[in-house]
Amino acid sequence: MRKALFAPAVAIAAAAFPLLTMTAASAADQTSYQADLGSTNDSGVTGTAMVTLDGDQATVQIEASGLLPGSPHAQHIHIGGAGTCPTPANDKDGDGFVSVTEAAANYGAIAVSLTTSGDSGPDSGLAIDRFPADGTVTYNRTVTVSQDVATNLANGTAVVVLHGVDKDGDGAYGGSVMSDLDPSLPMEATAPAACGALQAAQMSSVPNGAADTGAGATAGVENSAMIGVGALALAGAGAAGAIAYRRRADSQA
Amino acid sequence: MSDPVRPRRRFVLPAAVAAVLAVLGIVLLVVALTGQQSPPRPSAGSAQQTSGSASAPSASAPSSSAQAAPPADPAPVQEDVPAPVALRIPTIDVDSDLVDLGLNDDGTVEVPPLSDVSQAGWYDGSPRPGATGPALLLGHVDSAEQGPGVFFDLGALSAGDEVDVTRADGTVAVFSVQRVASYPKAQFPTIDVYGNTPGPELRLITCGGAFDSSVRSYEDNIVVYATMSGTRDS
Repeated sequence: MRKALFAPAVAIAAAAFPLLTMTAASAADQTSYQADLGSTNDSGVTGTAMVTLDGDQATVQIEASGLLPGSPHAQHIHIGGAGTCPTPANDKDGDGFVSVTEAAANYGAIAVSLTTSGDSGPDSGLAIDRFPADGTVTYNRTVTVSQDVATNLANGTAVVVLHGVDKDGDGAYGGSVMSDLDPSLPMEATAPAACGALQAAQMSSVPNGAADTGAGATAGVENSAMIGVGALALAGAGAAGAIAYRRRADSQA
Repeated sequence: MSDPVRPRRRFVLPAAVAAVLAVLGIVLLVVALTGQQSPPRPSAGSAQQTSGSASAPSASAPSSSAQAAPPADPAPVQEDVPAPVALRIPTIDVDSDLVDLGLNDDGTVEVPPLSDVSQAGWYDGSPRPGATGPALLLGHVDSAEQGPGVFFDLGALSAGDEVDVTRADGTVAVFSVQRVASYPKAQFPTIDVYGNTPGPELRLITCGGAFDSSVRSYEDNIVVYATMSGTRDS
């Protein structure tokens, strides 16, 4: 009887003491790269891209602004070029646009399509329904990449490119120049708007998100150990009181 | 108890125990519940951010301030800067040596051991304080066992406060607080906090905001941005 009364008290006290949290000693092996995105085709678009590679998993974060709102902006990691971005001098055919074809020697071919969902391979390079379509981009996605991408990242020849520029300023993709990639699309929809080569970040291995730097003594329930002991004492008081009551009842019977 | 010497008095001892335990329990609960305290939050005057969707102006804030006050010498490269060994923040009475921290399996940054929450640490995947880039220092705001931690008052810092990092050769890198921000953990602005900087900078991180007792974790991170203003000998 006494043991049965004591058990809940022990449970209350045990619950009041926090579990010891163990910190894993083995470290993730990840390397971070950053690109400062500059404008191409006089887009006015600027931003920053960060890639953290862990094995074949690349966490890609992009913050950019100055894009044409309400229109899709294809975004890719290109590899196999010189690891540079084009200048107006790249406009070889003189149509007023630096096209993807004209920039190919600089930043190479599409290796990763930075889509918002689904496939992220080169085949999704023009999947305009799965790219951001706002004037300001805040992108964060982890995608699987090939060894080729990892090698180009290490060599400084992986380049982040955002596409889609409203060159004539009419608020939509249009104009008479058609895209070198897809003749059914205006050049404005596919021409590069921002570009930056990924280089080793100053923080060689950027952590994944926030830090867990509080274990909650001063917010929520504080002094939980003391509360636990207090609860245990009260439970013990109840148990002892019950025993006393039972014995008194027995002796009076 | 099978020997009923004074059967009518058998209930007296348990009753006395019950009374003593009841008094003890009530005293402990009253002391525990009246001893609650809360860490300060960033003041309204400092650039507090309530969301991770950082706009371009806020993202460039630490950069521009760094350019306004460049160190006297060109920022040294990582290899030439001695390892950090101690941290002092006079404004909030922080004085701690620094342990090296790495990454956990899930890629999140390690935090100092909960067994000693008065301990701050330097993340060894970030630049050494004084080298170009964001050097990352972490400390607990508190723990359930030990109460307030080394960074309990971090949210009370404001622009211009001094942060000193002592290096292994005895020299001190002196930093000046630029701004204090608070971010929901789910919207942590990685590029703002961990991204490249024009000169040597510090990021001091602890927890804040509401406490989610179901997962025993705070909902926010408090981040102090500081830029280096110079160095001095010890």
